[in-house]
Amino acid sequence: MTKEEILRSFLADELFIDKGYLKEGDADKFKWGTSPNNKLIKAIEIAIDGDISNESSNITEKKINQLLNQPQ
Amino acid sequence: MILTSIELNNFMCYAGPNRFDFKEGINVIIGDNGYGKSKLFDAFYWVMYDQCFNTSQKAFRNTSQLKKLIVSDKAIAETDQGPITASVILTFHNTEKDSIYILERRYQVRKVGDSIMEDTESEEIVSHKEMSILNARVVTDPVKIEAIKRSILPDNIKPYMWFQGEQVESIIDFNKHDTLTQAINVLSNITRFDNIIEIADSLKESSTKELNRKQRDLSKDRGESERLELERQQVLNQIKQLELQELQVKDNLAKAEERSETLLNKQAEATKIRELEERRKSIERNLAEVQVEFNSEQVNLHKRMFTNKWVLKGTDGLFEEYSLLYNDFEQKKLQKQADLKAKIKAENEMVKEMQTRLPIDVPEPIHVQTMLSVERCLVCDREAPKDSPAWLKMKELLDRSQMKLKKLEDEDQPLQNFSPDLKKLYQNGLVMSHVIGRIDEDIASTFERLEKLSTKRKSLADDLRKVEQEVNALIADTALNVSDATNLLNEYSAQNDLTRRSITEVSNLEHLIGRKKEGLDSINKKLSDLVVGEVPAYLNEKVKVLDDFHKVAHSTRKRVFNKLVQMLEAEANKHYLEMIQGNLSARGVIRLKELSNGKNYMPELVDEQGNVLLQLNTGNIILIKLATIMAIISARQGSRDTELYTLITDAPMSVFGEDYTIGFCKTVSKVYKQSIIMSKEFYRNEVLREKLLHSEEIKLGKVYMITPSISENERTNRNSLSTNIKALN
Repeated sequence: MTKEEILRSFLADELFIDKGYLKEGDADKFKWGTSPNNKLIKAIEIAIDGDISNESSNITEKKINQLLNQPQ
Repeated sequence: MILTSIELNNFMCYAGPNRFDFKEGINVIIGDNGYGKSKLFDAFYWVMYDQCFNTSQKAFRNTSQLKKLIVSDKAIAETDQGPITASVILTFHNTEKDSIYILERRYQVRKVGDSIMEDTESEEIVSHKEMSILNARVVTDPVKIEAIKRSILPDNIKPYMWFQGEQVESIIDFNKHDTLTQAINVLSNITRFDNIIEIADSLKESSTKELNRKQRDLSKDRGESERLELERQQVLNQIKQLELQELQVKDNLAKAEERSETLLNKQAEATKIRELEERRKSIERNLAEVQVEFNSEQVNLHKRMFTNKWVLKGTDGLFEEYSLLYNDFEQKKLQKQADLKAKIKAENEMVKEMQTRLPIDVPEPIHVQTMLSVERCLVCDREAPKDSPAWLKMKELLDRSQMKLKKLEDEDQPLQNFSPDLKKLYQNGLVMSHVIGRIDEDIASTFERLEKLSTKRKSLADDLRKVEQEVNALIADTALNVSDATNLLNEYSAQNDLTRRSITEVSNLEHLIGRKKEGLDSINKKLSDLVVGEVPAYLNEKVKVLDDFHKVAHSTRKRVFNKLVQMLEAEANKHYLEMIQGNLSARGVIRLKELSNGKNYMPELVDEQGNVLLQLNTGNIILIKLATIMAIISARQGSRDTELYTLITDAPMSVFGEDYTIGFCKTVSKVYKQSIIMSKEFYRNEVLREKLLHSEEIKLGKVYMITPSISENERTNRNSLSTNIKALN
C-alpha cells in the first residue's frame, strides 16, 4: 500500500464526514498533503510518513505535538 | 522465476547423480510412502535454507544437527576411504531479466578406516549467469546472495509457498490469533496500522495529562483539584483493571467459542459415532441371540432324525409293500384254517359213520388182535395177509375203538407263531405311515426356519459389517475413536457452559465499567467547574484532535483488517469452490467468523442461506486451509507472486482424499505459474494418474515417477539404496 492509499483508508472513517472535515466521496480522491488546514489529517499524514520511513515513534509523536501546539 | 532443474548427488536416498527437469505448470513427482518424495522436498529446502524437515519432530533441522544423515548410505558404503560429498543444485531462470541463478549446497563426510569424520557445516555456492554471457560467475557478496534468495522466495511468503503437507495444519492455525494477522500482513501491511494506533494511544494519553495539569493550574481550589485528580486516577486504574479483566474473560470466551466451534464441527460426527456404536452393540447382541438359536436348530436338526422320525423318510413304499404281504399272509392263514376245519369235519364225520356200522369193541379187541397176528379173519375164516386190504380193515376195527372226534385246537400248531408280531408290525407301520406322510412338511418347515434364521443372521452380520465400516470410516476421517467421541460430546457441553458463563461475566463487567466511566465523567466535570480562567484554545483543540485521531486509528485498523479478511475469504472461496468442483457431495462456502475477542477467527462452511454446515471433517478443514494458503498468495495486493514464485509442496493432498486430488491440481495449475507437487495419490490410483496426464484443464509441467532401488522389506539395510527416476511425459 502506498502512503496515499493508507491515508485514504483513514479518511474513509465516518468521523470525517460527521465532523464536516470531508464530504461524501472525498476520501477516495484525496491527494497526499492537500489539506494543510486540517490538523487531524495532517497528524495522520505525519504518523503514516513516520511509519513508512521507519522513524522512531517518539520523533513522530514530537512532530505531531509540534503541529498541534501551534495556535491556529 | 522458473525453477528449471534440481540435481541431487548422493543426497539422502538419492545415491549417485540424479536430475529432475521442470517446466511451467504443475510438475508432479509421484511415489508411494517412503519412496523419497519428502527427501526431494528436503533437497529444495536444504539448498535455500540449510535445513531439512524432520518428520518425527515436525520441525526443520540444520545441517549441523543432521550431519551424515544428509549423505547417501549407499555412497558411504561403497566408498573405501576418503571424502564423500552430497550436493544439490537448483537452477532458476529469471525470465524477465533473462538470467540464470544457480544455487548449490554441498556437504562432505570423510571415511577414515572404519570411522566417518563429519563436517560441521555445509558449503553454499551461488552463481549468476546472464543468458547473453557464456559463463556463470560465482556471487560471493553475502548481501547479494540474500538478495538473490529473496528474489527466488521472499521470507514473508515462504511459509505459504514451500511447505510440507503435514505443516498445513500449523501454517493456518485459526486457534492462534496471530495466524490470520500474519496472513493478512502478507496481503497488506496491517502492522502499519498497529504502529499508528500505538502513536495515537500515546498521544491521547499525554494530551489528556497535559490538559489535566493545566486545569489544576487554573483551579480556584487547588486542594480540591488535587483530591479529585487523585480520585480520578484511582477510578482510571479501576477501569483499567476491569478492562483487563474483561479482556481476559473475552479471551476465555473466544477460546471457548473456538473450542465449541471446533467441537461443533466434530459434534455431529461424534454423535454419529456414538449412535453407530450403540447400533453396533445392539446388532451384535441380536446377532449373538440369533446365532444361539441357529446353533440350537442345527443340533436339533440331527436329533429330529429320530425324534421327528425323519429317518423313516422315503419308507412309505416299504409299508405299502409290507401291507400287501401281510394281507396276503392273513388271507393264506385264514384259508389254511378253513381247510383244516373242513378236513377235521370230514374226518369226524367218517368216524361217526364207522361207529354207526358196527358197535364199538365188536369183535372184542383181543380177538381182533389175534386175527391180525395170525393174519386170518376168524369170522369169515379167510386169509388176511399183513397189510392186505382185509388185514387193514381188521386193524381199522382195532383202531376204531381208540378213535375220537378231532377239534381244530388238536391240530399241530407250528413251534413259532409270528402272526401277532407281524400284526403288531403292521399296526406300527400303519401309525408310522401317518407320521411319514408329514415328514416332508416337517423337514420343509424346519429348513424354512433354519433358512430364516440364517438369512436373519446374514442380514445382521451384513448390518454389523456396514455399521463397523461406517464407524471405522468415520473414525479414520475424524481421527476420533469411540471414547474420544464420548469425551468430545462431554467437552462440547462443558465448553458451552463456559461460553454462557463468560457471556454473563462480560456483560457484568461491561456494566461495571460503564458505571465507573460515569463516575469518571462526574469527576471530570467537577474538575472543570473548579477552573477559573481560560484553558488555552490550542490545548482544547489538541485534545479534541488527538481524541479523534485515537478513534480513527482504532476504527480504521479494524475496518482495514476486516476488509482484508473479507478479501481473503472471497479469494479462498474461489479456490475452494474450484477444488471441490468435481465432488458433488461437497458444498458450502467458507466464512471466516470473528470471535468475541475481536482477534480470533474461525473458519466455517455455510450454505446459500448462511446456515452453518456442521459436517466439517479434517479433510474439509485442510481444503479450507489450502484454499486460504493459495488465497494469501493470489490475493496479495498489487503483487504477481503466483507468477514470480514456485509453489513447492510435499503431500498436500494426503489428508483430503482422492476425490479432490484432480480439483486441487486444476486449481494449483490455474493459480500458480509453476508448482512442484509430491504426491502418492497418483502412484496408488492409476485412473487418477491417467486423468492428470491427459486432463485438458490442467497445465501440466513434467511428471516423474520415483521408486526405490530395493524393496521395502529390504530397506533396513540402506547400504544399497538409491532412487530410480522415470519421466512419465
